[in-house]
Amino acid sequence: MKRFVAVAAVSLLALTACGESSSPAVPGATSPQSDVLAKAPVATVAEILPGSTMEKIKQRGELLVGGSLDAPLLSQQNPATGEVEGFDAQMGKALAKYILGEPKVKIVNSASETREALLANGTVDVVFQTYTITEERAKQVAFAGPYYTSGLTIAVKKGTTGIAKPEDLNGKKVLAGANTPAIPAIKKLAPQAEIITFGSDPECIQALKQDRGVAYVQDETILIADAKKDPSIEIVTKPFTVDPYGIGLKHGDDQMKTFVNDWLKKMQDGGVWQEIWKTSIGTVVTGDAPAPPQIGSVPGS
Amino acid sequence: MGVLLEHLPELWQGLIVTFQLTAASFAGAAVLGVLVCALRVSPVGVLRALGTAYVETLQNLPLLVLLVLAFFGLPEIGIKAEPLVTAIVVIAVYEAAYIGEALRSGVNSVSKGQGEAARAIGLTFGQSLRHVVLPQALRTVVQPIGNIFIATTMNTALAGAISVVDLTASAQRVNLVEAQPIPIFVGAGVAYGLIAAAAGFVTGRLERRLVILR
Repeated sequence: MKRFVAVAAVSLLALTACGESSSPAVPGATSPQSDVLAKAPVATVAEILPGSTMEKIKQRGELLVGGSLDAPLLSQQNPATGEVEGFDAQMGKALAKYILGEPKVKIVNSASETREALLANGTVDVVFQTYTITEERAKQVAFAGPYYTSGLTIAVKKGTTGIAKPEDLNGKKVLAGANTPAIPAIKKLAPQAEIITFGSDPECIQALKQDRGVAYVQDETILIADAKKDPSIEIVTKPFTVDPYGIGLKHGDDQMKTFVNDWLKKMQDGGVWQEIWKTSIGTVVTGDAPAPPQIGSVPGS
Repeated sequence: MGVLLEHLPELWQGLIVTFQLTAASFAGAAVLGVLVCALRVSPVGVLRALGTAYVETLQNLPLLVLLVLAFFGLPEIGIKAEPLVTAIVVIAVYEAAYIGEALRSGVNSVSKGQGEAARAIGLTFGQSLRHVVLPQALRTVVQPIGNIFIATTMNTALAGAISVVDLTASAQRVNLVEAQPIPIFVGAGVAYGLIAAAAGFVTGRLERRLVILR
């Protein structure tokens, strides 16, 4: 037993030592993602209203962001650098820079089922987490934005026939990420489909490959990334829903909502929004950055 | 509160799945647990080692890891089962380690003289276990077994990870639409609490009836 402890201790030491020495040498530590933030706007002193949420954040010196650490292209922690990368993560950092002058964020890994509560009790200041604006949710939280629009599409194992539109899913086993907008969408468009859910995207892909379901309904961006990595799956339809993502804020905080919407406008007009898109989602979706959605254009925003 | 009533059918369906999971996996764990205990107290060294290996392995692995591993890993070697079946089997196998250990503590509480007396009247190991030792052991471990039952109920909440729509998973689905986590999860929590309280009540009554005063 003693020997085991010694071996364990030595190997742990070796591991940590290895981690320390190698991390600065990791290629890509200064990614194009950090260059983009240099161009992000900073709020004037007058815009940080006294007594507002913005001022509290400024005094704290850190923006608390509710987000994910495992969403590829959107908000994923890079195991080599420890940095959280992706579209949502960059937007969060840009907002932090707008308030604080530097992109200092603390990402609180929040789950879909806790976001409303985290905002209500002040654990986080904002939520950047593919947070689809709905009227039900708008009763619990305030939404700035939308800052991005996406849509659901369908992936199948290559060679699967008979699925070309959402209605074809009726009577079939359909995979979806737990707590994603895919579940209500499938229920609406194909009420006879049997929905099977898993916690993460890799699990859904694995289940698709193991024939646990014949189709996988997920956000197009994520499915494109999956299909690029794994040639055994293919996407069979164009997006059939419109999911406007909003920036979650505390319910009733109109000052903050106006402030964040102003920031978003500056981000879009200054082209920073487009640059962030290019260095994240744009690395798998070809073509130019899409036109950003109109702020306040969705019921609930 | 209104949100709970509105979605009662879905939540009720989830609760039924939780009941099924708990009942089936606990029954499986009880049967397996007796076997594990028999291995652990067996006079044959190899069997004892086997029992120890079983208990040490399963008690040192998180149930979630076992569930995901069994669900996604076993199909790779050609074993594929329905999610509900997988969940029941994995939870049963996992909880059996704990039941086995609880029973063993009961067996240890049976005085040595009982075993010796059983041998003296010519009972085999199996017979003395079945007729003399285990009945006494069981009566002393009613409460620990009850606690394992409660733990099993709570552990079934992990089955959502392999697509079983139990009470927790259905609460999550309702919340996805309604965005009211506090009433929804408090409601689900109360349901789990009631199951645990009922189990505690039953085992408390059983224990008072069965306890052996030594």
